[in-house]
Amino acid sequence: MASPLEQFVNNVRTSSAAGHFRDVLELIVKSDEVLQRNKAHLNTVLETLDVQQHSLGVLAVLVAKYSNPQGTNEVDKTNMYSKIYEFITNCNGEQVRLEPDLYAELCHQLTDHLIEIKQPIRGIEVLKKAIKKIQLFDSQLTSVHADLCQLCLLSKCMKPALEFLDTDITGIGSELGGNNDSKHFLLYYYYGGMIYTAMKNYDRALYFFEVVVTVPALVVSHIMLEAYKKYILISLILHGKMLTMPKYTSQVVCRFLKPLSVAYHELASTEHAAVKHRETFVRDKNMGLVNQVLNSMYKKNIQRLTKTFLTLSLSDVASRVQLTGPAQAESYILNMIEEGEIYAMINQKDGMVVFLDSPEKYASPETLCVLEQQMAACTKLHQYIQEMDEQIQVNPQYVKKSAGSHDEDMPATSQNSKTTYSM
Amino acid sequence: MAEPMVVDVPLEDNENNEAECYVVENPSLDLETYAASYTGFAKLYRLMFIADHCPQLRLEALKMAISYVMTTYNVNLYQTLHKKLAEAIASAGLPDVAVQMGSQDIPVLDTMWVEAKTKKAAIKLEKLDTDLKNYKTNSIKESIRRGHDDLGDHYLDCGDLTGALKCYSRARDYCTSGKDSNQSILTRLKCAAGLAELATKKYKSAAKQFLAASIDHCDYSELLSSNNVAVYGGLCALATFDRSELQKQVIVSSSFKLFLELEPQLRDIVFKFYESKYASCLRLLDEIRDNLLLDMYLAPHLNSLYMQIRNRALIQYFSPYLSADMRLMAAAFNRTVTALEDELMQLILDGQIQARIDSHNKILYAKDVDQRSTTFERSLAMGKEYQRRTSMLILRAAMLKNQIHVKNVGRETGPQSGEAPGSSTSLTPRGFDPVPL
Repeated sequence: MASPLEQFVNNVRTSSAAGHFRDVLELIVKSDEVLQRNKAHLNTVLETLDVQQHSLGVLAVLVAKYSNPQGTNEVDKTNMYSKIYEFITNCNGEQVRLEPDLYAELCHQLTDHLIEIKQPIRGIEVLKKAIKKIQLFDSQLTSVHADLCQLCLLSKCMKPALEFLDTDITGIGSELGGNNDSKHFLLYYYYGGMIYTAMKNYDRALYFFEVVVTVPALVVSHIMLEAYKKYILISLILHGKMLTMPKYTSQVVCRFLKPLSVAYHELASTEHAAVKHRETFVRDKNMGLVNQVLNSMYKKNIQRLTKTFLTLSLSDVASRVQLTGPAQAESYILNMIEEGEIYAMINQKDGMVVFLDSPEKYASPETLCVLEQQMAACTKLHQYIQEMDEQIQVNPQYVKKSAGSHDEDMPATSQNSKTTYSM
Repeated sequence: MAEPMVVDVPLEDNENNEAECYVVENPSLDLETYAASYTGFAKLYRLMFIADHCPQLRLEALKMAISYVMTTYNVNLYQTLHKKLAEAIASAGLPDVAVQMGSQDIPVLDTMWVEAKTKKAAIKLEKLDTDLKNYKTNSIKESIRRGHDDLGDHYLDCGDLTGALKCYSRARDYCTSGKDSNQSILTRLKCAAGLAELATKKYKSAAKQFLAASIDHCDYSELLSSNNVAVYGGLCALATFDRSELQKQVIVSSSFKLFLELEPQLRDIVFKFYESKYASCLRLLDEIRDNLLLDMYLAPHLNSLYMQIRNRALIQYFSPYLSADMRLMAAAFNRTVTALEDELMQLILDGQIQARIDSHNKILYAKDVDQRSTTFERSLAMGKEYQRRTSMLILRAAMLKNQIHVKNVGRETGPQSGEAPGSSTSLTPRGFDPVPL
């Protein structure tokens, strides 16, 4: 075995045994090159290290081993899954949390590998474990989240991702921000939006796409563009119109996304756009959603009718909603009654629709229970905000700044007193 | 002199609206009397507006404008008017109108006059300038103010609005005392403010301004006539006031009553409206419509004002009923039942009428809103919205704390090109490269 490698193993063992994980960290950063150069021997190295005791060392070796997929030989490829699976199951969470970048890298490698061999579903359980191991708390976002969502989408098995998606994020892993680009952040919310769209939870989908589009930006990413297109479509399905973007949306976003998604904007004003821009929609793989938009436009119009009419003939419904005829109107209304989207009765004898009021009287125990849950959720959020506020209040930097600026605001403070104060 | 700013705004508005062309066919307007109530630019612009929109009165209006413009120094406008006149004659298709008018009284372009006037204007300008300089050296504030004022008047006379505006605003700096402010100026200010509000579509405040004008001091022929105040104020009030406001501020108002006497037709309209005789009220409104379309300040707003008056009438008509027969209602509003149904539908959707339509029996039913249910509904919606916004806020705080933003680093690490349904998405922002902020 080459001596630098030996040295690496020895150092990892001694530092880990002594509990000096910071030293291990420095060591693996330094030895990256050594590991890369000696790829052939890495299996032997792995045998000398213990997954539980030397998690950081093993992590570094694994990442180096699989870093270049083309260079990896077939045997390694076939047991890549089991090797990583074993590592994620058995590694020491405390250790790997010191180096989330590398840990995430390993998960990305696994994801890429599974996509390549077209077995995305195998990765779902592993990545769920991986996320839970690296998270400091449940509502922390890691860059592995995006991988999980991608695998769920590819395997058309959405449910496993929901337990993560349904948790509102309150903290973000360090590997996502800082100097890294925010690709995995954008991807998580983009894929998440798509999963919710597939589950027809449009409310939540819209929220996710909105997050993508409002990420502070100096340049516009393609992920944002695609999210923006879907944001428009979902907002049309849900609200029948385009919602205005929040004020804090970056300027570049407003300036560049609109001209790049003309077809979608046109769809908001006229349904003819669906035919006119069919090619664009098909190319963007959004045709299915576009069809749903059209469908929901009819439904929205019918819902509007229920607000204004007590009775209306089927043929009037058809002409007001621009359906082809009474038959089509009848089928729409039937479906909507079944889905509970409107409350109405059709009198087939004279072709009249009688619109009824919603039977919900807000008096049942169930409704009150929902109300209480909602109130509890609001209170919880409010408390969280207060806690955040308190944290900021006692933040030394904040205290210093607010005191400092206050000082500057005072009109006739002499130069001298100011300097003394800041000292 | 009124605030020069106010004069400008409606003029611009007028220019914008010239683009949308419409033609008034049968006005019952006596041009002579109409023009007589204005002076200065008000007269010129109003005549030009009529010429633009009413072929029947075009020649007459242009001729009047030309003969009036010859009393001023406004050479440019004189030439423009002549050009228009020539076009009008050419396009009118000579047969009836032009021939009947007799070509003898069609004025010809008087180039001598143009030259003479231009020269005179220059001389006058020079004189006023020297006067002003003299005043300035003597530094008597009042004289300087008057000097600026005179200069402004002259610019106005020549048709140089920007120049005039400059002089008048300078004159304002030299105002010494408040002794100039009296009833008459107040009324002028009210009228001008009313016009400005009208131009910016704030009809309710416009109505209030016009209603506050006093007829004894309403000599403001440079801008509008007392008749105008009556019409503008009356229409805006009808469109925006509720019943009690209309009664208190218009019908029993002793000062505005005098204005209304000038426009008996409008007075009738207001009273019919108040007496809930909507059919005759709306018919009368239709009768004066053509004439109002020839008013340059009112024309752009006429449709929306009429619409609002109509809606208000519909709302008032229905307000005392629990159910109303739509056939009777249609008769009261000179409409077909289907057209009425559409109108009502819009009003219900806008939340202006709380009702539902029984299209089968053609009856409109008042809808008793279940306050309790609506409150539940709204609070649940509000709660949802709060949760959504707050979690977005918390997420955003976390984003900023971790410095998540889209930037240009790590470009070369191309994203995984998965066959994900979002595959087209996982591209780097290559197309948009560094965007200057």
